Amino acid sequence: MASISLKQIQKSFGEVEVVKGLDLEIPNGQFTVLVGPSGCGKTTTLRMIAGLETVDSGVIHIGDKDVTKLEPKDRDVAMVFQNYALYAHLSVADNIGFPLRSKGVKKEEISSRVAEVAASLGISELLKRKPKELSGGQQQRVAIGRAIIRNPQVFLFDEPLSNLDAKLRLEMRTEIIRLQRRLGTTAVYVTHDQEEAMTLSDVMVVMKDGVIKQLGKPDDIYKKPVDVFVAEFVGSPKMNLVKGHASAGNFTAPSGFQIKVDPKLSGEITLGIRPEDVKITSKDASSKQGKVEILEQLGPRAILTIQSGNQQITAVVDNENLKQITDKTNISINSHLEDHHYFETSTGKRLN
Amino acid sequence: MTTLNSTRLKPTWTLAGNSLLILMALSVFLPFFWLSLGSFKTGAQLNNPALLLFKPTLENWKEVLRSGVLESAYRSATVGLVTVSLSVVIGSMGAYAISRYKTGGSSTRFGILAAQVLPPAVLVFPFLEVSYKFRLNDTLFAVIISHLSFVLPVITWFLIGFFDAAPKEVEEQALVDGLSRFQAFRKVVIPQVAPGIGAAAVFGFVLSWNDLFYALILAPGNSATLPVKIASFNTFRGVELGAMCAAILVAVIPVLIVSFFIQKRLVRGISGGAVKY
Repeated sequence: MASISLKQIQKSFGEVEVVKGLDLEIPNGQFTVLVGPSGCGKTTTLRMIAGLETVDSGVIHIGDKDVTKLEPKDRDVAMVFQNYALYAHLSVADNIGFPLRSKGVKKEEISSRVAEVAASLGISELLKRKPKELSGGQQQRVAIGRAIIRNPQVFLFDEPLSNLDAKLRLEMRTEIIRLQRRLGTTAVYVTHDQEEAMTLSDVMVVMKDGVIKQLGKPDDIYKKPVDVFVAEFVGSPKMNLVKGHASAGNFTAPSGFQIKVDPKLSGEITLGIRPEDVKITSKDASSKQGKVEILEQLGPRAILTIQSGNQQITAVVDNENLKQITDKTNISINSHLEDHHYFETSTGKRLN
Repeated sequence: MTTLNSTRLKPTWTLAGNSLLILMALSVFLPFFWLSLGSFKTGAQLNNPALLLFKPTLENWKEVLRSGVLESAYRSATVGLVTVSLSVVIGSMGAYAISRYKTGGSSTRFGILAAQVLPPAVLVFPFLEVSYKFRLNDTLFAVIISHLSFVLPVITWFLIGFFDAAPKEVEEQALVDGLSRFQAFRKVVIPQVAPGIGAAAVFGFVLSWNDLFYALILAPGNSATLPVKIASFNTFRGVELGAMCAAILVAVIPVLIVSFFIQKRLVRGISGGAVKY
C-alpha cells in the first residue's frame, strides 16, 4: 500500500501533447478512477505510473520513492490490461504464479499462493487449463489473480471490463470493489465509462485534453460539476444544458423555452438540470409547454424525451408519477431552483 | 440449408476443378515417381524412360553409399543447422527491433532483403576472395558464412510480421510482472512467435540445404555439400543417371518431411487467442 503523487507530469507523442502538466495525489488505500473521453490522456497517465511510458517532464512518487526513472519491474505495481494479456503458452496456474516466479520465489510457496488466490477468485478448477480454453470472464479473473498474488503497492487497471458483456461487467465490477476493499491496496482505474467510474471510485478524476477537469468524491462531482464538460460527461442520461438569457428571475432560451431561475442571475448563462430533477405534470398549468416525443420504459422508471419548441429536454420519471402520460402527451416542465446548475456561457465555468 | 446448397459449385465445375487438381498433383509427383524408378534401374534401362516394369537393381544405391553422398548430406545438414541456428538467434532479435522500435526506419523492413535482388555471382566472388585470404576455402565455415548472407535476411524479414502480430500488452504485462526487457523478449515474446520461428527455421534450412551455387564455388572439394555431390555425378564420362537419381532422393526426402511440418506450423495460430481484440 502506498500513495501515488504525480507532479507536473507532461507527455507528448510527436507534436501532440497528451498530458499537460498534470498534478495528482492519489491517496493511500483508496480506489481512484481516471475517467474521460478517448484521447484525454487517462491511459497515458496510468501507463506512466506503471513505467510503460517515460515522462517528458515531471516527477512520480509511489510512497516515498521517486519512481520517475525506474523500470516497471522496480515499481512494485501490478496491472490488469483491457485484453487481459495472459501468457498464451502458460497454464492458468503458471500465469497467476508468473510474477512470483520472476522474483525467484520457491516453487512450493508459489503453488500454495496460486492455490490460495485461485480459491479466492473461484477459479481453482481452471488451474491446469490454457488461457484460450477460458471464457472472457474467466480470463479476466486469471488476470486479476496474477495482479493480486504478489501484494503489490499499487493496482493499475486499464479499462479491464470493456471486453465483457453487460451482465458479466456488473458482476466483475462488484468483485473488483470487494477485492480492493478486502486487500486495502491503492488502486488506479482507467475507464471511459462514467457510470463505472461513479460506482467504483472513492476518488474520481475527470480528465479532458490532458488536464484534470475535476477531482473529488463521485457524488460531489455529480452534484456540483465545475463546468459544462463535467456536467455533461458525468451522469446518464446526460444533464440538460440550455443556453439562454437570465433576467429578474426568468430564464429564456432562443428556442422559446422558459423557466424560473435564481433572481440574482443576469445575462447570458447556460442552465443545467439533471433529467431526474425535471418535474413534469400533464396539467396545463405552466407556460413551459412541451410534448413527450419518446417514452422509454426502464421498469421502475422511464426516460422521456420532451420537445419544447426547438429545445429537447430529457426527464427521468418514476413510473408511479407517469400516470396518464404517454407518447405525444402535452406536459408542463418545472424544476426546483436548488436543483439548477448555472454556467457562464462564454467560459463554461460554474456560477453557483 | 438452401443457402448452403446454392453456394455449392455445379457438378461440371467440380469435375473441372478436381481434374485440374489431379493434373497439378501429377505434375508434382511424376518427377519423384520417375526419380524413384530411375534409382532402381540399370544404365541400359534408364535409356528407356517409359519402362515401368523391370528387374530392379540396388547398384545405384550402393554407388551412393560408396561415393560419400551420405557424408555430404551430413555436411549439408551441419551447414543448414548452424546457419539456421545463428540466423534464428540474430534474426529474431533484429526482427523484434525492427518491428517494435522501428529500428532503421520503415525502409529497413524490406531493405534487409536488398542483397537478395543481386545475382549470387556478384556476391560469391568477394566471398571466395575473402575465404582464400583467411585460408577458409573448401571449408564448411566459408559455406556457412555465405549461406548466412541470404538465410539471415530472409528469416529476419519472415519474423518481422510475426512480431508485428504478437500483442504488445503481453510483453508490457511481463515488464510489470518483474521481467527486464530482454527477459520479457526471451520468456514471453519468443514463445508467442514460436510457430513463426519454427516455420522460418525450416524455410531457412531448406534454402541452405538446396544451395548449389555458393557451395560449389566456395567448397567444391573435400567439404562438398549434398547438391555439390549430386552435381558431381555429371562426370566427364557422362551423367551417371541412376546414381544421381538415388542421390537426389536422398536430398529430397528430408525436404519433403520438413515441408510437411512447415505447412502444419504455418497454419497454427500465432498467439493462441489469449488476447481479445
